[in-house]
Amino acid sequence: MIASINPSMKAFSVLIPGILLALTYDFFTPLFYLVFILIITFTLSKVSFYRWIKIFTPFLLIAIGFSWMTMLYTSEEFSGGHVLFEVWRFEVTSGSFETGVSLGLRSLCFVSLSLLFVLTTDSTKFMLSLMQQCKLPPKITYGILAGYRFLPTFQQELQLIRQAHRIRGVARSKGLRDRIGLFRRYVIPLLANGIRKAERVALAMESKGFSGESKRTYYHEMKINPRDWLFLFCMVGSLVTIASLSSYFGFLNIFGKQY
Amino acid sequence: MTKHWKLKEIVLMSILGVVFGVIYLLFFFVGQGITTFLTPFGLGPLGYEFIFGIWFIVSILAAYIIRKPGIAFTAEVIAAVVEVLIGSTAGPTLILTGMIQGAGAELAFAITKWRNYTLPILILSGMLAASVSFIYHLYASGIIAMGAWIILASLIIRIISGALLAGILGKWLGDQLAKTGVLRGYALGKELQKKREHPAA
Amino acid sequence: MSIQQLNKSLLQVENYSFSYESLNDNQVLQDLSFSLYHNEMSMLIGASGSGKSSLALCLNGLYPEAVEGNSTGNIYFKDKHISDYATGELQQHIGIVFQDPESQFCMITVEDELAFTLENLNIPSSEMPKRILEVLHLVGMTNNKHKRLHELSGGEKQKIALAAVLLLDPNLIIFDEPTANLDPVSRIEFIDLIREIKEEKKLSILIIDHQIDDWLFIVDRLLVLNKNGQIIANDKPDKIFPEKIPRLKQEGVWLPKPYLNPLTVKADSRPTNKPVLLSIGNLSFRRKKSTILSDITLNIPEGEFVTIVGENGAGKSTLLQLMAGLITPDRGTISFQGKEIENWNEKELRANIGFVFQNPEHQFITDTVYDELTFGMKLNGYHQAEIKARTTALLSQFGLLRHKYHNPFSLSGGQKRRVSVATMLSESPKLLLLDEPTFGQDADTTHELIKTLVMLRDNGTTIIIITHDMELADLSDTILVLQNHKVAFSGSPSALWRKTDLMKRARLRLPYRIRTQNKLGR
Repeated sequence: MIASINPSMKAFSVLIPGILLALTYDFFTPLFYLVFILIITFTLSKVSFYRWIKIFTPFLLIAIGFSWMTMLYTSEEFSGGHVLFEVWRFEVTSGSFETGVSLGLRSLCFVSLSLLFVLTTDSTKFMLSLMQQCKLPPKITYGILAGYRFLPTFQQELQLIRQAHRIRGVARSKGLRDRIGLFRRYVIPLLANGIRKAERVALAMESKGFSGESKRTYYHEMKINPRDWLFLFCMVGSLVTIASLSSYFGFLNIFGKQY
Repeated sequence: MTKHWKLKEIVLMSILGVVFGVIYLLFFFVGQGITTFLTPFGLGPLGYEFIFGIWFIVSILAAYIIRKPGIAFTAEVIAAVVEVLIGSTAGPTLILTGMIQGAGAELAFAITKWRNYTLPILILSGMLAASVSFIYHLYASGIIAMGAWIILASLIIRIISGALLAGILGKWLGDQLAKTGVLRGYALGKELQKKREHPAA
Repeated sequence: MSIQQLNKSLLQVENYSFSYESLNDNQVLQDLSFSLYHNEMSMLIGASGSGKSSLALCLNGLYPEAVEGNSTGNIYFKDKHISDYATGELQQHIGIVFQDPESQFCMITVEDELAFTLENLNIPSSEMPKRILEVLHLVGMTNNKHKRLHELSGGEKQKIALAAVLLLDPNLIIFDEPTANLDPVSRIEFIDLIREIKEEKKLSILIIDHQIDDWLFIVDRLLVLNKNGQIIANDKPDKIFPEKIPRLKQEGVWLPKPYLNPLTVKADSRPTNKPVLLSIGNLSFRRKKSTILSDITLNIPEGEFVTIVGENGAGKSTLLQLMAGLITPDRGTISFQGKEIENWNEKELRANIGFVFQNPEHQFITDTVYDELTFGMKLNGYHQAEIKARTTALLSQFGLLRHKYHNPFSLSGGQKRRVSVATMLSESPKLLLLDEPTFGQDADTTHELIKTLVMLRDNGTTIIIITHDMELADLSDTILVLQNHKVAFSGSPSALWRKTDLMKRARLRLPYRIRTQNKLGR
């Protein structure tokens, strides 16, 4: 199961294919890799489809918008081929069409790779793994966790501030200057409180003997197992395979060059 | 480097990440609004360029408050890690993006050997973060496949956004915060106190 | 012979001074000299702003370094100067439990938080589970090992904070206002727990608090700090109190109730036959599928002073927000002055209903105290002259004239609270709602607020207030007890105090006045 993969390894397993994917400009590679990610997501993890699709859908729309822009404004290098159709003053060629679709699909791959990580990874374990495997200093690791703990507090506070402003009739004001004022009215109380909390938590942590030294024992020992390597290999390997297939069928396009 | 940082400064950077993680959602809607307006012209995605600067504000605000080498970079990376913990849909890639943007922001302070935290440098920091991040996105989002003028337009909009939403807004927020008195334990708060005690200096 | 002479001192403070900036001005602590002894429960009291909390952090060696402050004089722990201890070492001998239950943890779950302390001590991981279970047993939280910290109540969080400190196996534990943010029953439970653990572990304990009452009978020795950060008394409690009362009063120290006059004389005239101002019928409210309030019906007459009490999570805040029209009920009706709340024009409703939030900062929207007070009137187009006259009157009434141009965030806790109440009064609302306004506040602030409320009530404002403070509830005309999403009681305070069973179920505590009466009666 993907939830039990070492978090740092999992991070690299979605990061590396992401970087490699950014090299390709054909539609074949991102399309089939997207299919692959979806299969992995729904067979090897307990992510609920309903939850996944709820997060994914808005990005589908953004991806379509991005594809559309790319089609209209593709550079000459990428816009070869015959004219498919014309919109307004723009000509969409087969080259620009493919580039647009490719970039749209690529961004969907990014999102689904990210979801594969985010929806199956425990925050604390991710931080502990960054400390134990990637040598992130404990001072930063626990400093981040201490701040992250306040997320529910800040969300609740934001709600209260909204109500408090309504009571004071702020909702009655309009215009750009008021909007900037509004931003400040939300951010300043949140930050002011946050800064005080940062100070208090840091003192409380140091009072418990936390000195930030890297030598410490671990309650949760995070380890890298062979199956973590296997997962990394799978994620990268399948992208390479798909790209090779794409090349075999004559689709693969890297930075505008056909391979 | 972490030896010279206090734990409270690190927690502060993390909390900036959390607070702006909550605030970014509001900005996301602004970006969405501009996007909807531009979409019929096929310029929809440019909408996010207008608000891109807000993503660098943590760097600049943290550097302006704490004023130590490496803070602009680290604050942006920490904020990125926090966003991932919160469940950002950008996932681990965001940490990479954070490093790149943070490096851009840090560059401005490095040029002045971390001695100058005035408005021009803060604006420069926002603009450099914008430029460096743009180079990255040319590649990662494939903007490079687009026409030269639209690349240029995106870059200019992003740089202006970096100057305004990160540089100017960041300084302004820092000053507003200092007035509340909560920054007494940080470089910015101490500077303000000195100014109050010796108005002539 | 006293305990002190029999015992060797554990911690010795000699001519110690501390300040945040340079030592010349604004000393927080001035020339302190005192000792703490083995197996002794001592308590340090003082008015707010007397530097009590700074002292705790000076003793465990984090100050002055953490704030780049300055100090002179010496502190010895076990006859060794505290600066001779390595980083992180002294903190293992002297543990601190802080005031705010929300901000003393860095991990998500109870288990991980406790492990964090053990990791700091480099305890082998194989030994950790055993130690975690032991300490959870000690503080009576065995069932909460896997819970998330933010799901625990304030009292439970403090127990975990104590457990984490106990894992350090310290010789001395300092408690910095540990119960200030707890409800009354949790407070008593926590104090009992401290006493038990002290007996079992033979620890030295230093309590820092401004509220003495509940501690008075368990502490061996009292140290009193004055406003300038100097020690003005250091003796057994029964020696200090009868003799030094006038002096302590002068210093703004919260006196134990046996030595204090009642806060306010209870109003004898309950309003009778007044028209109903706020009426709620068959109201229910759910949030994310869980019932928050069910089938609430009540009427509040004009001019009444109502308190809402009950356990955390009973739905008190939700009820108040419903009354203000900030959220809408799933079922049932709320009408204000005979007109349903949804049918009110927002602007008029806001002018007629004031709402004071628990954290005053949430209400601040401008740069200066003056602007805060004028904000509402400006929005509603009052005349310049009237705005000025009203604001000046409010400023002087709330003792804020001197702070007219100050940033509201930079004020003290008590001043912020006064500003937040004053802003609500600028448009003379008919109904004033307050959500735990005395929570975590010091004696002076609480006292002032109660005075203000009594004055408002006498002027005819209807007041509904959520509180854990039973002394405040004792002053009201009507108490509403919320329990299990329902109104379990509605009536006069004296009628409630007689319902022993209900009091227990709703985790309420009798006010001091009744507790002493009962004692005398028995």
